Amino acid sequence: MPKLPNPVDFAVPFFILLILIEMVWARRNAPEKYEPRDTLVSLAFGLGSTVAGLLFGGAIYGLMLWLWEHRITTVPWTWWAWILCFVLDDLLYYLFHRSAHRVRWFWASHVNHHSSQHYNLSTALRQTWTGWLAMSFLFKLPLAAIGFHPAMILFCGGVNLIYQFWIHTEAIRRFPRWFEAVMNTPSHHRVHHATNPRYLDSNYAGVFIVWDRMFGTFVPEVDEEPIRYGIVRQLGTFNLLYAVFHEWIGIAKDVWNAPWQHKLSYLWRQPGWTHDGSRDTSDTIRARWQARQMADPAE
Amino acid sequence: MEGAWIDLAKFGASLIAILTLALLARWMGLGGDLRIRNADHARILANEAIEGFEPVDIALDKAGIGALLRDAQGQQMLLRRHGAAWVARLLDGATEARLDRDFLTIGTGEKTFGTVTLHLGENAGVWAAGLRRLPPAGARHA
Repeated sequence: MPKLPNPVDFAVPFFILLILIEMVWARRNAPEKYEPRDTLVSLAFGLGSTVAGLLFGGAIYGLMLWLWEHRITTVPWTWWAWILCFVLDDLLYYLFHRSAHRVRWFWASHVNHHSSQHYNLSTALRQTWTGWLAMSFLFKLPLAAIGFHPAMILFCGGVNLIYQFWIHTEAIRRFPRWFEAVMNTPSHHRVHHATNPRYLDSNYAGVFIVWDRMFGTFVPEVDEEPIRYGIVRQLGTFNLLYAVFHEWIGIAKDVWNAPWQHKLSYLWRQPGWTHDGSRDTSDTIRARWQARQMADPAE
Repeated sequence: MEGAWIDLAKFGASLIAILTLALLARWMGLGGDLRIRNADHARILANEAIEGFEPVDIALDKAGIGALLRDAQGQQMLLRRHGAAWVARLLDGATEARLDRDFLTIGTGEKTFGTVTLHLGENAGVWAAGLRRLPPAGARHA
């Protein structure tokens, strides 16, 4: 079995080049699409996440290898296995991503990727430092247990991540209908990063948008409504460390202050949930918006 | 050991690349200069920040960098510029306000959110008084 390189390492120079090109586009068309401090924070997130990967990646790979040694069957190292692995890895990514928006423990890590109020290629590199703590690697394990070699799984995951880079842009409007029907695109992913009530908790796909269409979470982009990006309670700071850990700090405070019978709920229920209903969840925001739409459809 | 040096070199190169990109973004003048144009604009921004917030009373900063807004239920919102975007908070008992003639400096009690000084003209005193009657801290959006 050949030793595989990390495909992301080879992609980094292209990431930088494409960000430069998009910055030139923004300068000509819409300077507000980039904010230098926000860009610096996003890129620092990316750099920090590679350090976290170096620190914890080995242990996660070891766990995957252990599972693979106790595998159900052996998936051969052949062309169709690569295709199957890529598709199944993307399905598991969908499940991970959906959980990351609906379970606060996972959200505490994934929120990092959403906390920019801008949507450009630098936002794509806004990757978490605490994925290991949230245990997002759990979603990679089933493939190893089935019998896909961990090296194959991680390579496919790397290609998946590279694909997701270029869709973080407002410079591309739409692709031909057939492409938009099957693949995740800038249009679909803009919707995912939006805080507009109509768009909350939708379009979780990594590469293939068909998962959202299959599982009922697909929402198309509406051209008439400008998208607002970020999180429903924007950070309001460019402090990198606060941006990295704010939701973990919030969980700790909530668990500490909550009555005993509600403590665990602050870990596994959806972001924004409180035992006294004093905060908004994406569901309550959407319900309020829908009620207003019914009362005044012109809004 | 060789692997560690390679990782360190990659880290150094990436650090230089990201600092260069951020400096370039600054040099290109990206970011823009956002201002609140008028009360209607402030109303839209407030509603976008917190779904369903319908201000009935608005005090705009003279330079358009922020606003204070009150809805029919008496909730008060601080809206301010954050880079090339807008951020808002519903104010509660943790709010700190300091009045200096026509200027009102407001902190939400949230250290990382910081404070903002709004030039509210002759309305500053009225709004400063209103900020003394806020719900207890943590009652919403803790």
